[in-house]
Amino acid sequence: MRPVSQRVNAKKTHENNTEFGKSTSELLILKPEGYPLSGMMDEYPVIENRDVFEFYAREQWNGYVARKGDYLFDRRMFPDFAYRIIDVEPAESIIGSSTSIIVTEEENGLPSSAEIKSSVKFEDVIGQELAKQKCRLIERFLEEPERFGKWAPRNILFYGPSGTGKTMLAKALANKTDVPIIPVKATQLIGEYVGDGARQIHQLYDRAEEMAPCIIFIDELDAIALDRKFQELRGDVSEIVNALLTEMDGIVERDGVCTICSTNRINTLDSAIRSRFEEEIEFVLPGAEEVFRIFESNVKTFPLQVEECNFRALAKKANGLSGRDLVEKVLKTALHQAIIEDREIVASKDFENALAKLGRKDPLQGPSELYI
Amino acid sequence: MQMAPQMGYDRAITVFSPDGRLFQVEYAREAVKRGTTAVGIKAADGVVLLVDKRITSRLVEAESIEKIFQIDDHIGAATSGLVADARSLVDRARVEAQVNRVSYDELIGVEVISKKICDHKQTYTQYGGVRPYGTALLIAGVDDNLPRLFETDPSGALLEYKATAIGAGRNAVVEVFEAEYREDMNINAAILLGMDALYRAAEGKFDSSTLEVGVVSLQDKKFRKLVPEEVENYVQQILAKHRGTENKE
Repeated sequence: MRPVSQRVNAKKTHENNTEFGKSTSELLILKPEGYPLSGMMDEYPVIENRDVFEFYAREQWNGYVARKGDYLFDRRMFPDFAYRIIDVEPAESIIGSSTSIIVTEEENGLPSSAEIKSSVKFEDVIGQELAKQKCRLIERFLEEPERFGKWAPRNILFYGPSGTGKTMLAKALANKTDVPIIPVKATQLIGEYVGDGARQIHQLYDRAEEMAPCIIFIDELDAIALDRKFQELRGDVSEIVNALLTEMDGIVERDGVCTICSTNRINTLDSAIRSRFEEEIEFVLPGAEEVFRIFESNVKTFPLQVEECNFRALAKKANGLSGRDLVEKVLKTALHQAIIEDREIVASKDFENALAKLGRKDPLQGPSELYI
Repeated sequence: MQMAPQMGYDRAITVFSPDGRLFQVEYAREAVKRGTTAVGIKAADGVVLLVDKRITSRLVEAESIEKIFQIDDHIGAATSGLVADARSLVDRARVEAQVNRVSYDELIGVEVISKKICDHKQTYTQYGGVRPYGTALLIAGVDDNLPRLFETDPSGALLEYKATAIGAGRNAVVEVFEAEYREDMNINAAILLGMDALYRAAEGKFDSSTLEVGVVSLQDKKFRKLVPEEVENYVQQILAKHRGTENKE
């Protein structure tokens, strides 16, 4: 892609000359790997000041094309000490004065961005108009962040029963916008040791700020934003929640970073976290009309023919099921039944049977006859 | 041996959490919410109790599900929560009423019996090895020519109300009462108000076969349950009223 600079880096790796290839790399994540040979005098370098190290590293690796998995060797203070590139953004870009360099011991310390690759569109999320409207606003913000200034959307919470499209909408947003979305599973942020959680949250936001404007999407937020009264249950609840609180709206302003979180247990969230969200958008179970539309739009993608059948009547019976239930438990079951019986057509009976199988579950939890 | 590092404040009922709460007692109140709605309303000429029963299968004989009980000639109670606990409390209340008759040769006061029930419930929040009652009682009756209506909850707390509700539909019903309750209503109007509130709380599932109504009037000071025909009559009035408003819309 950039033949000139590539030729340069092959020979003049550590020449301090900014003329060669302009810096295109935005973010470089390194992991210290040690020396190629072990000896008596090996000293393990410790980075004392991140900013100074960044400057030092940029200068000696200036012009180098960074590829994921490559090794970079320190040539000055600790000759031949190796760092491995565990991530670089954009891929195969040139290290230079605008590169942010992060050194981490963790192989997967930072979840990489642009992992959400899907073909989900806004239109695929049926219903949930309020949430979609907010997503369009976020989209607008990411197109021209300057226009919003201090009125930018910052923290938004999606909540509601599972299977109602919270994660799907985030995927659609990622698909629609060009800005990076950092998808984070909340459980990923907890870490192995006490202290890991808070550190990873700070790292996440550090990185997001470097990539701004961008969106952080934290799925299953209740795993890390548990009410601090549950401190007894897990020793690090306070610590993680405090880290999250300061990041979401704290002393340091993180410009252009928009956080979307999702949860289906909103009542267990810490009240201070909840107050950080400018808007809490509820995802509701689909009504009869939406169920009908979910049926219609999904049946179109079936690999088999579908017999003419009355989806409206079916939709009425499917009251109380979430979007995921409808797709996974009704439509998929019906389709699989047809396939297993070697039929070319999915009959309306298949849908009814799949639905009836679900209906047998007791809608009330627990033995209701114990209560009057 | 290593001790458990944290204290489970909801493991024993007699242990306060650091912020002064007894979680088991609070959980017992959740059991009350699992029961169907029971409503009590004071009228100018008496007091009424209304309940909406849950019939899980058409094979169940609806009359065998009891939510309104007679405690004494002049006192009735409606319950919500665990069936078995409710029956045990009602039995106790009946005995207390008889003890009072034998000891003092007079009818027990509504407030007195409510307090006795609450004293009993309270002991089950303070001693080890027991669990609280998972049921709330609405105790309605007539004292010295005054209608009385008490609500007792699993903690043993006691409050007298003009109109209240317990169980699943409590909030919806109380909202209706806040707006529409008047102290000069007669028994007839009170029953209609209670049914109206139950209708709105039930969201469409409204049927005379699942409703029960108990009344204590000032006139005869006797508790009685309405017969199904009387209940049906009130139900028809409510259905007609709502049909009317729906048509207007």
